[in-house]
Amino acid sequence: MIAAANCLETEKAKLRREIAELQAALNAKEQNLRDLQSRTAASHLDPEADLQHATREQYATLNNDDIARYSRQLILSDFGVSGQLKLKNSAVLIVGLGGLGCPAAQYLCSAGCGNLGLVDYDEVERSNLHRQTLHTVARCGMSKTESARIALLELNPHCRITCYPRLLNSSNAMHIMRAYDIVLDCSDNVATRYLLNDACTMLRKPLVSGSALKLDGQLTVYSYGAQGPCYRCIYPVPPPPEAVTNCGDGGVLGAVTGTIGAMQALEAIKIIIGLGDVLAGRMLIFDGSSCQFRNIKIRSKRPNCHVCSAQPLITGLIDYELFCGMNANDKDNAVKLLEPEERINVLDYQRLMKTKAHLLLDVRAPAEFEICQLPDSINVPLAHVLDDSYLQRFAQQLESKELPIFVVCRRGNDSQIAVQHMRTRLPEHSIRDLEGGLHAWTNQVDQSFPIY
Amino acid sequence: MERDTSFVNINVLFFAKSRELAKTSRAEFTVKSVLIARNLLNQLIDRFNLNTISNNLILAHNENYIENLDTEINLQKGDEIAVIPPISGG
Repeated sequence: MIAAANCLETEKAKLRREIAELQAALNAKEQNLRDLQSRTAASHLDPEADLQHATREQYATLNNDDIARYSRQLILSDFGVSGQLKLKNSAVLIVGLGGLGCPAAQYLCSAGCGNLGLVDYDEVERSNLHRQTLHTVARCGMSKTESARIALLELNPHCRITCYPRLLNSSNAMHIMRAYDIVLDCSDNVATRYLLNDACTMLRKPLVSGSALKLDGQLTVYSYGAQGPCYRCIYPVPPPPEAVTNCGDGGVLGAVTGTIGAMQALEAIKIIIGLGDVLAGRMLIFDGSSCQFRNIKIRSKRPNCHVCSAQPLITGLIDYELFCGMNANDKDNAVKLLEPEERINVLDYQRLMKTKAHLLLDVRAPAEFEICQLPDSINVPLAHVLDDSYLQRFAQQLESKELPIFVVCRRGNDSQIAVQHMRTRLPEHSIRDLEGGLHAWTNQVDQSFPIY
Repeated sequence: MERDTSFVNINVLFFAKSRELAKTSRAEFTVKSVLIARNLLNQLIDRFNLNTISNNLILAHNENYIENLDTEINLQKGDEIAVIPPISGG
């Protein structure tokens, strides 16, 4: 009975997954069709048809719909009709339509920003929906720019939206950015942050820079005013790749990205209409866990800055992936530290697990272990492997060199680091990691095993 | 003139990656009341395991960025030093 019930559950999970995949494929095809259809018409997707060529419409008055729609902000004394008109005539480029870009775009569009450019090469996934507030279940698989465009036009059909569903790089950035007054850095990686900084400095455009990870957020405006510093004035050299955590590995709370993204929209609006004190020369540090905002007074321009000083060393865009030693995305790359004989395929492990005594160590963080785990696996976070505290904990089991040890993690990257380290301590043991980690387990062994 | 070389207790706040490396978000730290900023930074790097991000952080003294690490700083009891590395996620 139990076996039959399990079988049924597996079958249901498999069908759900297949339906989701088909839905995503369908969305991608529909997207393709839209792209082809719009290629003939003057397109919102065509990078050549961007705003610098098509002259931006300039409005001198508000219409009745504007007045009704924006009434609650029009009556603000510092905002008024002139502020609304400036907003209507403005153009803002949003780079990254994720956790920061979605709320930022939402507020700019609904506040009446006349022209929005959306840059993102990526497609909507289910794991985006907890924080990327413009996307929906039905639009998984669709380009994020297109998904955002659909949502934004429902909010405000008067906003002119141009989509750039591609990776921003050194050869297309200047061309795309030139047409906009302000750029919002809502990206998720170091290389894009340096690229946007350099391009904005060269084009003399304010860069509203937001970032968030876990429960932390940061916000500041670079390249604003005569004294305003740039990103390189504050952080002249990129951090080493091992010191950079992405949202996929570190986690992030949607309400935190939402907080920072909403404030990016606020700073952009203030710059456009000349309201209040812009957050330039200061950095807002948000600690969501204690709900504390700190305003740190940061430096003015660095006199020897490579990009924004009077005698810059860098006068054209460079290769930012090379400069940072990291890709311009937040995806994890498969690490290759171990030789094939130091690893085991998940299917081979499945055959062996029931018949042969062994030790299975899961090196993920406890919060991840709690989500899902293989039978009889023991949670030993990577840090406990690297500081050797596991040796004492498993002293008894490790006495026998005959007991094979297997190591597993989410994707098969950390497990390799663990095996490499353990081999130096236990050179005579058989220690192997599960190739591809739990993701491979789901894909090759058990489709009902959750993926995160 | 005699230099004041007494020691003071300050509060160090850690943000983002530095919190992970230091394994705490706040710590008391005893340090000479007058010292070169770089000296303070080096002590913090050693004490709180910040080596991997030693070139990528802002040091702020009572919410003011320390612009030049070669300048001397004066610390009072209870002063706040914030360690702020960049975040790149979004």
